[in-house]
Amino acid sequence: MRIKRDALLGFLMVLPSIIAIGIFVYGFIGWTGRVSLSNWVGLLPNYEWAGLKNYTNLLFNDPRFMVDIRNTVIFTVLFVLGCLILGLFLAVLLDQGLRGEAFFRSLFLFPMAISFIVTGVVWRWLMNPAQGSRISGLNLLFDRIGLDSLINSWHATPTWGIAAIAIPAIWQMSGYTMALYLGGLRAIPDDLREAARVDGASEVEIYRHVILPLLRPVTLSAMIILGHISLKVFDLIIAVAGKQLALDVPAIYMWTTTFDGQFYGRGAAIAMLLLLSVAILVIPYLYYTIRTEAEL
Amino acid sequence: MASVTYNNIYKSWGEVKVIKDLNLEIRDKEFLVLVGPSGSGKSTALRLLAGLEEITSGELYIGDRLVNDVPPKDRDIAMVFQSYALYPHMSVYDNMAFGLKLRKMPAAEIEEKVKEAAGMLGLETLLDRKPKALSGGQRQRVALGRAIVRHPAVFLMDEPLSNLDAKLRVETRSQISKLHKRLDTTFVYVTHDQTEALTMADRIAVLKDGMLQQVDSPQVLYDSPKNVFVAGFIGSPAMNFFDATVTGSPEEMYIDTGGFRVRVPQSYVNALRGYGGKKVVFGIRPEDIHSARFTPGGVTGETVRGKVDMQEIMGNEIILYMDTSGSSYTARVDPRERAQIGDEVEVAFNMENMHVFDPETEEAIYA
Repeated sequence: MRIKRDALLGFLMVLPSIIAIGIFVYGFIGWTGRVSLSNWVGLLPNYEWAGLKNYTNLLFNDPRFMVDIRNTVIFTVLFVLGCLILGLFLAVLLDQGLRGEAFFRSLFLFPMAISFIVTGVVWRWLMNPAQGSRISGLNLLFDRIGLDSLINSWHATPTWGIAAIAIPAIWQMSGYTMALYLGGLRAIPDDLREAARVDGASEVEIYRHVILPLLRPVTLSAMIILGHISLKVFDLIIAVAGKQLALDVPAIYMWTTTFDGQFYGRGAAIAMLLLLSVAILVIPYLYYTIRTEAEL
Repeated sequence: MASVTYNNIYKSWGEVKVIKDLNLEIRDKEFLVLVGPSGSGKSTALRLLAGLEEITSGELYIGDRLVNDVPPKDRDIAMVFQSYALYPHMSVYDNMAFGLKLRKMPAAEIEEKVKEAAGMLGLETLLDRKPKALSGGQRQRVALGRAIVRHPAVFLMDEPLSNLDAKLRVETRSQISKLHKRLDTTFVYVTHDQTEALTMADRIAVLKDGMLQQVDSPQVLYDSPKNVFVAGFIGSPAMNFFDATVTGSPEEMYIDTGGFRVRVPQSYVNALRGYGGKKVVFGIRPEDIHSARFTPGGVTGETVRGKVDMQEIMGNEIILYMDTSGSSYTARVDPRERAQIGDEVEVAFNMENMHVFDPETEEAIYA
């Protein structure tokens, strides 16, 4: 009886949250899904059934959305790879037991505490594409120290401008990746390294054959966390470069088409596609995590 | 095949000296056990030999090669860790083959060696499994196998049995002894368990606080411990010690513990001649204190009466915790001695097997 009453009380306590999440998260996802299947254009709601028209248009008949997908793919690959490589590198360095490790750990982790908007504003200046007399930011630095060959137009570079956006994103998230890897490295018992050393492995071979394979679950987690950040990127691009077609991604397209263009149906379809792509990435991961936790 | 020589070896962590002036010669093909309580430096001594710790000063030789600055992989050693340290992402086969692969051995030869070691250890059917899917005993054997396949000159083991249950530990003990005979290599084995040391070793090196106490064969260590520490560490239940005084005359010499008085046998009188009236530490093993009613043939003991404080019935013997006027001691007596707690019992001290130590130096005074 007692347990039943406690359970009921507990349920009542969380009920407001459940209701709020039910309405504002799942309810609105449902509503967005419904809008994405409508012909709603303009300010007045219009739920006229349109089937999958918004989706088929985006996927098969919309050059802008194709540019978005291409940009997202380039950005994601560079951003995720950059964070993984740099994060692992920093973690391995910090794992050597150097002095002031706690200081460096905080230092590298710190950018994560800043919002993408702030990062974007700073890097907007650092990556100022202007050259000649109006040169500034990193280009100015390269100019002064004689590394002229590195001077470039960053995100204003035709076709590959999106690659430049990955730089501040990597700057911001590689420290976080480092923390993930450092946790993974610390979880590997010293015995294993010692066993490998006695077995005849050099330090490089120990990393290649023992440490890196054991970090695979960390790499998977990092890829998923970084991947879903990357799919949803919006604020960073806006802060660095504003709304430019060359740097367009689905989230920006969704915003402009919905609120600037009032194509609500199309905007909702983009939102649903974004949700779907993130879900494809995250759901298997959640499933895997919950299952391994249950095993423990 | 190689001997090992520790020459004036010191190891410090900052201010703390964990190994102090270790001099030890391990013979070729010998099974040497390093034994001591935790913090005695036994594991560190082994890790110095493995090359996992740096030597602070002194010289370490494997064979006649100075190995102070030789990395582990070039020392021709293999090590079994307490935790087994199996690579969790590799199959049993790959765990064993790893060291050989690193040495660029041809795959066919690797397979032959791994199969051979697996056969020796009964692991043939487990080669495809991951360590996670093995029992503790199986993991332990894989760890042994990983060392065997390398055919090292020196085999190092750091408490390899301490994670096994009691029954398996006894089984594996004899298995390792057999392995030593079969491989015919030098074994250096670290344990805190004196039973393991006594049962497996050719020679035992006893360490305490980073200092070597005594190195000798198990029987010599048991019969003639060099000091109070070794005497108390080797043997179970541990030797009884009494702060005692030597009394009487050379013709009739006694050891007086305050609680009781026992006569010193003629063979010891000369050694104790200079201690008349002085303090000594008197030691006698529980197995040398018999029930006076069931004394084994040939033993004529000094009888002492005492009260039974506690008893442990082992079936083949009874361990009595005795008290004689404030001197307490342990006796291993015949199971027919059916004493009850609180009973007054007569026990016989076999003084031929007594030990006496100098109270200052704690060194043994030999007969």
